Amino acid sequence: MSQRLREHIQRTLAGGDKLFSVYITAGFPEKAATLPILQALDAAGVDFVELGIPFSDPIADGPTIQAASTRAIENGTTLPWILEQVAQFRRHSQMPIILMGYLNPVLQYGMERFCRDCQQAGVDGVILPDLPFEEAHALMPFFHAADLDNIYLIAPNTPPARIRLLAEHTTAFLYCTAYTGVTGANRAAEQQTTQFFAALREMVDVPYIIGFGIHSAEQVHRYNAVADGVVVGSAFIRFIQQQPLASIPDAVRTFVKGLTQRKH
Amino acid sequence: MSTPNRDAKSTISNFTHYPDDAGYFDEFGGQFVPEILRPALEELQAAFSKLKQDDAFNRTLREELTHYVGRPTPLYFAANLTRHFGRARIYLKREDLAHTGAHKINNTIGQILLARAMGKRRIIAETGAGQHGVATATVAAKYGLECTIYMGEEDMERQYPNVQRMRMLGATVVGVTSGTRTLKDATNEALRDWLTNVDTTHYIIGSVVGPHPFPALVRHFQKIIGEEAREQIQHQAGKLPDYLVACVGGGSNAIGLFYPFLNDDVQMIGVEAGGIGTGPLQHAATLTYGRPGVFHGMRTYLLQTADGQVQLPYSISAGLDYPGVGPEHSLLKKSGRVQYLAVSDAEALDAAFLLTRLEGIIPALESAHALAYLPKLLPHTTEAEIVIVNLSGRGDKDMQTYIQHMEKEQQNK
Ligand SMILES: Cc1ncc(COP(=O)(O)O)c(C=O)c1O
Repeated sequence: MSQRLREHIQRTLAGGDKLFSVYITAGFPEKAATLPILQALDAAGVDFVELGIPFSDPIADGPTIQAASTRAIENGTTLPWILEQVAQFRRHSQMPIILMGYLNPVLQYGMERFCRDCQQAGVDGVILPDLPFEEAHALMPFFHAADLDNIYLIAPNTPPARIRLLAEHTTAFLYCTAYTGVTGANRAAEQQTTQFFAALREMVDVPYIIGFGIHSAEQVHRYNAVADGVVVGSAFIRFIQQQPLASIPDAVRTFVKGLTQRKH
Repeated sequence: MSTPNRDAKSTISNFTHYPDDAGYFDEFGGQFVPEILRPALEELQAAFSKLKQDDAFNRTLREELTHYVGRPTPLYFAANLTRHFGRARIYLKREDLAHTGAHKINNTIGQILLARAMGKRRIIAETGAGQHGVATATVAAKYGLECTIYMGEEDMERQYPNVQRMRMLGATVVGVTSGTRTLKDATNEALRDWLTNVDTTHYIIGSVVGPHPFPALVRHFQKIIGEEAREQIQHQAGKLPDYLVACVGGGSNAIGLFYPFLNDDVQMIGVEAGGIGTGPLQHAATLTYGRPGVFHGMRTYLLQTADGQVQLPYSISAGLDYPGVGPEHSLLKKSGRVQYLAVSDAEALDAAFLLTRLEGIIPALESAHALAYLPKLLPHTTEAEIVIVNLSGRGDKDMQTYIQHMEKEQQNK
């Protein structure tokens, strides 16, 4: 487990704050933007970043992240390049970074080598939505050896027994999708799902954050009331792709401020 | 080109007891899906395990297969084709004569009965050649379920008659514009729809691919091809065949024919789409040129870059234009039980015209790939031997491609 990530989460929650994190596909909109975006997110006070490894067939993603992945691949984004960016970022910053992506690029890189190189670069955790618990279990020794968190996802349709199992084995936190569907859907926070998230408090001991389709301060507010924080992905990608490279720091600060008044 | 090696031995003595409980065909298969789909896969597994042993379910399925699908399909002795090569006797398993014109309906009729038993109101499917889309729209019409078919825009153009058939059958055909605009992207879209509407919707996947239990379930409904062929050949020729030949896209018609013979002394050849060359983007020959990876919920052979990005397949045949393959085929390849190889677009076209002119049967372009292996196989056979080719579908949907080919030939004369 990554001490950096765990301590950051503990400190934030103990102070009565909520976690606010952002997903961005690495190498999007251009390779030169990744490091400035990470630095700007750090400066804007984001708690941690989910850095996306682009994949050709992102089945859990909606059109926005699909397009970002395609563009990033066309830009020549590869896993070794992403690890280099994290290593460069780490020279000046301690903001935790989680790599998020699909299994195949990681498998082809080699799971053991991936974990080792993540540790070396300063990656804190991974989220691989198509690597279910049953498959991940055998790989846990590699994650442990590299102090890498492996974060599981649950959804509003996940049965209670399964939620308990995943909560027990996830490290750092549990990632809850706001609805059953793909990323970036335009759905309001529904009564039924907010109740589901509120009920989680009684079921699990780990922190849990909500993601998928979050694009307004109103949603952030409602989800923060029933969870430990949120992650914003597609909305950030739609926003950042319109920004010229030079204005990234200011733009990112405005974006983060717009969704949460808490941090400046 | 060498003939399949009869001595190719593997350590596996029983090939028919896969997959295991976790959905693995040895190291291939599994269930690599987002958590959201898990409840649906578990529900499907439970329903399938129960219903495949249920007398009433099996009776209904059998009646539908007999009176609606038109089974058993003939095992036809192709006397003219046999004479043409002058060696082993060639039999064709006539899946082209099944209702809607391909083997795909064996699977869709079985799955719609499952969907109904699970109380699903809505059916989705992906399609490449449109045969699976038509077969799905057909059973959805018959059983009165709402139906949406995802089809790559490139394939909609290539197989337009099938788009019209699906629409006439009442299905909504959604053109897929992402990626290559072919079968792989249609499958991605179908999976995304399923992730979103998982409570109400059953996904009738079109081949022996995807996460467990799909490869086992689709095989269950397609193995009737081989079961019938086994009985028919023993009745007609008094012995088992020496060779089975089938085309492999996802691999459902091939598994359907092969599975009931896997533990017999019968050689099997799976024919992939060799397209226009052996380089990247020139073919769809996953088992011939790919290497293992994880894609569409399964660990299997995959066409991919060194970085693990899925590579764009190419084939003249929309139904074979897929960068993955069923996990059971990956096992059968790795163990050496089945030989896989590729034939080119041009060889497939020649084979389609040869069959049409000699036997009066216009085959689907997919099936033509299986036929295209005959000129390579037959010289190594004897007159005492028997070859069964799976004629997985008929060629009506490919007329545009065939007409273009004829016009080109005419010009070249
Ligand atoms: C006639 C026909 N044969 C074969 C195939 C390939 O599928 P599979 O390999 O699953 O049999 C298709 C797919 O569309 C088809 O339409």
